[in-house]
Amino acid sequence: MERDAILEIRNVSKAFPLAGGRELLAVDDISFNVERNSICVLLGPSGCGKSTVLRMMAGLETASSGAVVIGGKTVDGPGRDRGMVFQAYTSFDWLSVQKNVEFGMKINGVPAAERRERAAHFINLVGLGKFADAYPSQLSGGMRQRVAIARTLANDPEVLLMDEPFGALDAETRWLMQELMINVAEQTNTTMVIVTHDLEEAIFLADKIIFLSSHPGRLKEEIVPAFKQGQRIADKERVVKLDGYGELEARLMRLMREEGRHAE
Amino acid sequence: MSSDNRSKPFLKLRHPAGRQQRLVSALGIWAVFFGVWVIASSTGMVNELLVPAPQKVFATTYDLFAARGFASDVLISISRVVGAFLMACAVAVPLGVMMGSFPAVEAIFAPFVSAWRYLPAPSFIPILLMWFGTGEAPKLALLFIGVIFFLITLIMDHTKNVREELVETALTLGARRPTVVMKVIFPAVLPDIVVAMRQMLAMAWTYLVIAEIVASTTGIGAMMMRARRFLKTDEILSGIIVIGALGLLFDLAFAALHRWMFPYLRKTR
Repeated sequence: MERDAILEIRNVSKAFPLAGGRELLAVDDISFNVERNSICVLLGPSGCGKSTVLRMMAGLETASSGAVVIGGKTVDGPGRDRGMVFQAYTSFDWLSVQKNVEFGMKINGVPAAERRERAAHFINLVGLGKFADAYPSQLSGGMRQRVAIARTLANDPEVLLMDEPFGALDAETRWLMQELMINVAEQTNTTMVIVTHDLEEAIFLADKIIFLSSHPGRLKEEIVPAFKQGQRIADKERVVKLDGYGELEARLMRLMREEGRHAE
Repeated sequence: MSSDNRSKPFLKLRHPAGRQQRLVSALGIWAVFFGVWVIASSTGMVNELLVPAPQKVFATTYDLFAARGFASDVLISISRVVGAFLMACAVAVPLGVMMGSFPAVEAIFAPFVSAWRYLPAPSFIPILLMWFGTGEAPKLALLFIGVIFFLITLIMDHTKNVREELVETALTLGARRPTVVMKVIFPAVLPDIVVAMRQMLAMAWTYLVIAEIVASTTGIGAMMMRARRFLKTDEILSGIIVIGALGLLFDLAFAALHRWMFPYLRKTR
């Protein structure tokens, strides 16, 4: 199943200036592709620069060298074609759930009627139909992340970028959200790039795992979870019970541990 | 000491006082205050000319409003505070938000604004009188100078505290810079701006009284200075009470405005 690449990361490096004129190399010459309609997970220990890579895809950071290319065009700054969901809550507290989800469409000039309809569709998709008129402060953490996801999807991005989106949630909410993302990916055909340090989350969501090593962040391995046989299964329990799940998890653990030792 | 004989202390560490206890305590402290005042003036412990009895002060307050046109002084004072304060806000809100949003704008104005904050506004009174004479202008100018630099700094700081993720979310949704400032940063900081305005309005009242005492023939402060000349301590105390009551009313009005403008900040969970 060959699919064309929608995002190309070409020899990207990123150095941050330090005090005293020195530089910290956070990301060192990384190249990989994200295929259209796929879920690509950036995995690695802390300090591997995975969030920096994602932020460069979003255009929120500029690469020191190399380029991020989307649909043949080099990224230079943020744009609506690359929607982003953060770990921290980003709901606009002064707007209702409905208005939050309409926000991107409104600033991009989508007519009111179409806006309302699309917002309602995506609010239902993430299971918040009953809360369209609520304010974010009335919602739980998981529900607020659903609002952020619906808001980003309703804006019709080419790629959905997520930076540890469920890191602040408790375990059972996190499972529900992961299952929701599989359903969303199936129903909307959205390409997703998800940053995580949670092995389970990576294995469950990924069509492809990009494993990064730390200090500086380098591409260590590209891993396709072959045991899922190219399928997406929106039931965490079933995935965990499949043959090959444990093997892959053990392999990723080994990689994580090696990297942890390097860092010490 | 047996354990079932444990006494409950009146001072419980970090333990919230009940509604009734708070009400009784609040009324109690004021009852003590007026009680001491009444006893001190009725037993002749204090000179009645310097400290008139509270009932006399309240009677005078009523008389000032009912028979002696004090209301027009009060209205003039209110209009000075509100007028100067609105002018200060008209400059401080946009400037503070711009300075908090764009470091380049901060780099221009911050060195200027922070220097002015250390110049006490009343020190400008002599020069303001020479520039503007004795009309409304010097009073408005004093109030304006007194609050604007603090207001700008407060609003700038609050604007800087708007979370970076909100700005970045707007950018990745396709917002341009003016949209980010108008549709995300400004509404995010607005509740804090209203709080800053509430604090600064209290300061505006302080400068008003200074301005009216030093150089005015109208307003609450001027009435108090006239009363001093005729040894009318009851009228001076009436003026103080009215200023206090107005300050409280404006504060309550701002609190109500805050609740009305920002229903989403009410905790329902």
